[in-house]
Amino acid sequence: MTAWRQKNESYKRKTALRNTAVIIGYTALLILSLLVSMNTGYTRLSPLDTLRTLFGGGNDKEKLILFDFRLPRIVVSMLAGAGLALSGCIIQGVSKNALADPGLLGINAGAGLMVLLYVLFFGAQSFLSIFTLPFLAFFGAGTAAVIIYALAVKKGQGAAPMRLILTGVAVQAGISALTTVLIIKLDDDQYDFVVAWSAGSIWGSNWKFVLALLPWLLLLLPYVLTKARVLDVLNLGDETARGLGASVEKEQRKLLAVSVALAASSVAVSGSISFVGLIAPHLACRLVGPRHSILLPACALTGAVIVSAADTVARVIVQPSEIPTGIMVAVLGAPYFLYLLAKSRR
Amino acid sequence: MNSIATESLAVAYEDNLVVSDLDLAIPQGKITAIIGPNGCGKSTVLKAVGRILKPKSGMVYLNGNDIQNLSTKEVAQKMAVLPQSPHAPAGLTVGELVAYGRFPHQRGFGRLTPDDRKVVAWALEVTRLSELETIAVDNLSGGQRQRVWIAMALAQQTDLILLDEPTTYLDLAYQLEVLELLYRLNREQGCTIAMVLHDLNLAARFADYMIAIQGGDIICHGSPEEVMTADVLQKTFQIDAQIARDPRTGKPACLSYDLIKPHYEKSGGK
Repeated sequence: MTAWRQKNESYKRKTALRNTAVIIGYTALLILSLLVSMNTGYTRLSPLDTLRTLFGGGNDKEKLILFDFRLPRIVVSMLAGAGLALSGCIIQGVSKNALADPGLLGINAGAGLMVLLYVLFFGAQSFLSIFTLPFLAFFGAGTAAVIIYALAVKKGQGAAPMRLILTGVAVQAGISALTTVLIIKLDDDQYDFVVAWSAGSIWGSNWKFVLALLPWLLLLLPYVLTKARVLDVLNLGDETARGLGASVEKEQRKLLAVSVALAASSVAVSGSISFVGLIAPHLACRLVGPRHSILLPACALTGAVIVSAADTVARVIVQPSEIPTGIMVAVLGAPYFLYLLAKSRR
Repeated sequence: MNSIATESLAVAYEDNLVVSDLDLAIPQGKITAIIGPNGCGKSTVLKAVGRILKPKSGMVYLNGNDIQNLSTKEVAQKMAVLPQSPHAPAGLTVGELVAYGRFPHQRGFGRLTPDDRKVVAWALEVTRLSELETIAVDNLSGGQRQRVWIAMALAQQTDLILLDEPTTYLDLAYQLEVLELLYRLNREQGCTIAMVLHDLNLAARFADYMIAIQGGDIICHGSPEEVMTADVLQKTFQIDAQIARDPRTGKPACLSYDLIKPHYEKSGGK
């Protein structure tokens, strides 16, 4: 065996090992975040109490706090983080733009407008069913995304990345303006709710919200994984992708729809959390490289860790009140992002 | 062996008709070089032939079938197309990029089968990249990078390869390296190669068949001896060329040339 052959073999082994280590490391972080998060909050539960309650012991109060308040919230934060991160990863792949995130496709703005309209007509307290909200958010986000895509697409050439971003910014500004106008019509309760939602407070803290979000992820995640190869090839540019036999425009549309669905269902239960969709793919890509078969799972885990960790911090940093998780994510995420930009300037 | 030809092909960008009525055939098993001045439509023709661009009217035939009726995946199993200066994502290794060439042969989750791996190893070997398999593509020199893209096209296992200016941005030695690789693929593997080339002398040196295009029309096609004449080059490039025989290769070469009339008079005072 020649020297370079050995070198290549050892590199491949190391890569496989690294990828496994990243996935295991993230899972460990996720469990750690879960444990810490269960222990922290307005009412202190010691780690021992938590464990005892978790395994069937504990008094009613402890059970109530853990199973009815904390766990569902932690699970929602993890699921929403994973959904938003995946959505961002897909959008960055499809638009070939490292600065793209779900907000770019008008998802947050479109979903926000629908949430607002819902609150306006049915009131903040009278949710008919939390299960309708993801659909409404998807409808709003989808409409915004379709408008942006239709304006960005050039006949026979697909959506040019730059046009996608520019139309995204414009349409978002329009929707935000409309949202602001509508906010004036809200009463105090409704106003509080909408403001909290758009700051990304994870307001859905019971199991219903988990049930409203989980099926979307369970359905879409396997589908996205089958599209890993397509995302890889789309990343090479439209012409190269077409040369390799990818139906570029069809795949772009399918993937964007999935991305909108993932982000909209997440945002519907978690509130408007930005930055995860932008940062998680960057972080994951630095760890495992640009191949989507490993990047997508790593990205979902990164998102779950970021949002659940941010949510824990958000709940304890200014006790007894709390900071909206979305704000916390931005506070943690913005400096990292600036660091990335400064680094890439070199 | 796969063949490709066009019949009264018309291609337009938006409403701007670049090619209006083109009949062209790429000879099988040969190296074809498409030459012509900037904006003459040579890249456009190549893209239309490679179904990267949809023609406005007319036909592109792959093995006698209308290419528009074939799925893009089917086409990719028979013909590889490399655009001008393609871009690889940061951090992707040579081996990983070349493995993307297996795309049209994969389904579902698309893990590489042992057969896929064999083809990738072969493509790396033919392009003399085996040693660089685990190096990131962005760390390579321009010539090596172009070889990686050609290796990716080879991994598609097609005997028809289209390339749009594979030597752009490369210095003299790298240009030769890439063209010699393509020459070897043609002679040893029997690949049909069609490419757009800027450098006339390199085109004449490596191509078996040349097509000179001007204003979306074929001015002349045939062997380098037939196309590299003062008369054809005058019609194609508006130059007064002096053609000699390259003492090393025996192929025709443009020794020197002058403008027949200044470009600005022709193109309307630009």
